[in-house]
Amino acid sequence: MIALALDTATSSTVVGLQLPDETVREARDDVEPGQRPRHTSRLLPLAAGLLDAAGLRWHDLELIAVGLGPGTFTGLRIGIATARGLAAATGAPLVGVGTLRALAAAAAGGGRPVLGVIDARRGEVFVGGYDDGRELIGPVAVAPAGVADLVAGRDWLAVGDGALRFRAVLEGGGMIVAPERSPLHQVGSAAILRLAVAGDVDARGPVLPTYVRLPDAELAVRSGQP
Amino acid sequence: MILGIETSCDDTCAAVVTPDGVIRSNVISSQGIHDRYGGVVPEVAARHHLELIDAVTADALDRAGVSLDEITLVGATCGPGLIGALLVGLASAKAIAAAGELPFAAVDHLHGHVGAAFLDPDQLDPPFVSLIASGGHTLLLRVTSRDGEPEVLARTLDDAAGEAFDKGARMLGLGYPGGAALERLARDGDPEAFAFPTGRTRDFSFAGLKTALLYKLRDLEADRGAADDQLRADLAASYQQAIVGALVGRTERVLAETGLTRLAVGGGVAANGQLRSAVRGLGVTVSVPPGPLCTDNAAMIASAARYVRSQPYPEYLGVEAYATGEGPLR
Ligand SMILES: [Zn+2]
Repeated sequence: MIALALDTATSSTVVGLQLPDETVREARDDVEPGQRPRHTSRLLPLAAGLLDAAGLRWHDLELIAVGLGPGTFTGLRIGIATARGLAAATGAPLVGVGTLRALAAAAAGGGRPVLGVIDARRGEVFVGGYDDGRELIGPVAVAPAGVADLVAGRDWLAVGDGALRFRAVLEGGGMIVAPERSPLHQVGSAAILRLAVAGDVDARGPVLPTYVRLPDAELAVRSGQP
Repeated sequence: MILGIETSCDDTCAAVVTPDGVIRSNVISSQGIHDRYGGVVPEVAARHHLELIDAVTADALDRAGVSLDEITLVGATCGPGLIGALLVGLASAKAIAAAGELPFAAVDHLHGHVGAAFLDPDQLDPPFVSLIASGGHTLLLRVTSRDGEPEVLARTLDDAAGEAFDKGARMLGLGYPGGAALERLARDGDPEAFAFPTGRTRDFSFAGLKTALLYKLRDLEADRGAADDQLRADLAASYQQAIVGALVGRTERVLAETGLTRLAVGGGVAANGQLRSAVRGLGVTVSVPPGPLCTDNAAMIASAARYVRSQPYPEYLGVEAYATGEGPLR
């Protein structure tokens, strides 16, 4: 099956193309910590480049998969609006895969449950915990120090940019954080494609981001502040 | 056939326009969810755009009776506006264009308001003066050709005209957005009852007007406890007259200076009845498009897309959006 995967939940712009022989080509744009993501300027050019290199056209796509987050609100909307536009114009079915689920799936297999941890800024992380494909935790936004309460009692492996950033806090809470240079900390398209092709997805059709957080203005209205 | 998409503020819009300027469809989905926040919240607007955009685009194609195969050019607003909102429409439009390997036009929102004048049934040929007044912009432009860059003759130094209406309405207890409510209240009032400043500068400025209303309301409350209905109507009428006077006075001056005899009016404030009748009294040929073409819409973006430089596939795939305060017309 020819399938395209997009993920823009983190500061990385990630694109993967599964070819008819089931191999996956990935193209990505990773920015230095603190740098602005380049989702708008890089997402479609990376995808077009992969198709071109494989001698394929957009209308050859048989499945489009997009990372639902949680992650940066603007990034998620760029990825999902793009994926929906491509699906509408090509007729390819669209599925959404939780970005934390994809992070965890890539790190699964070591006998431990895996925690995907994405930096949510404002002193919080987005967390999702998975064991053998089953979602045991989240996705939720919590302070790094609060993660230990969610995972009590088991040897969790933590991966993701949030796990890297808050390594000391998570390790202090009993989790194992993958090594500094491990590729498991980056969202990869291979896991998204594998889950999407297997039908192990979080949404189908007109997918929407997993925001987890409400807009600030909504929180203010609900708490009665002006 | 041109597909236009516009998501610069809180309206999710898609339209189909023919190459010679006939509107085949013009779908506007007003979110109507920002009243509870007292103004447009960028994050809330962006979330709703994403929920609505596919259905709005499909609806525009449907109403036009065309399929994507018949679209030859896609145009989308790339700025200025709320960046998160713009990015939804831009990402969607680029993806649709890419999938069909179609050319794409990144349209400036203000070029779009000018482009509304190039649509049937009442196409206005340049050269003309364009007055664009809305909640986000207040500009006087000299438009010399359909594909040339308009020249900015006057702009607002602070608030936009529509913002002045909305802020005045809020002070008068009319809620948000209150431009239309203010106009209704003003019908029963005396526009000469209160003197408000309209300014003598070349550019527009509405911040002082807003402050003047605030002080007048305070004085009245100190005098009598609260402004009664007649006084509020008088205030609304005088305040509206000041805004319209500021717009029309500068438009008149610019028409005299340029010697141009045609005027196009656009933007949400063009829905104001007093402004419409005042510009008709200027003694020039006036084009005020119907309401849905004055407020933000995608037909004007599709119209402008015909005249801006479009890019062939795949050159535009990396096109970015730009925020309020950026772009060619400031
Ligand atoms: Zn506008």
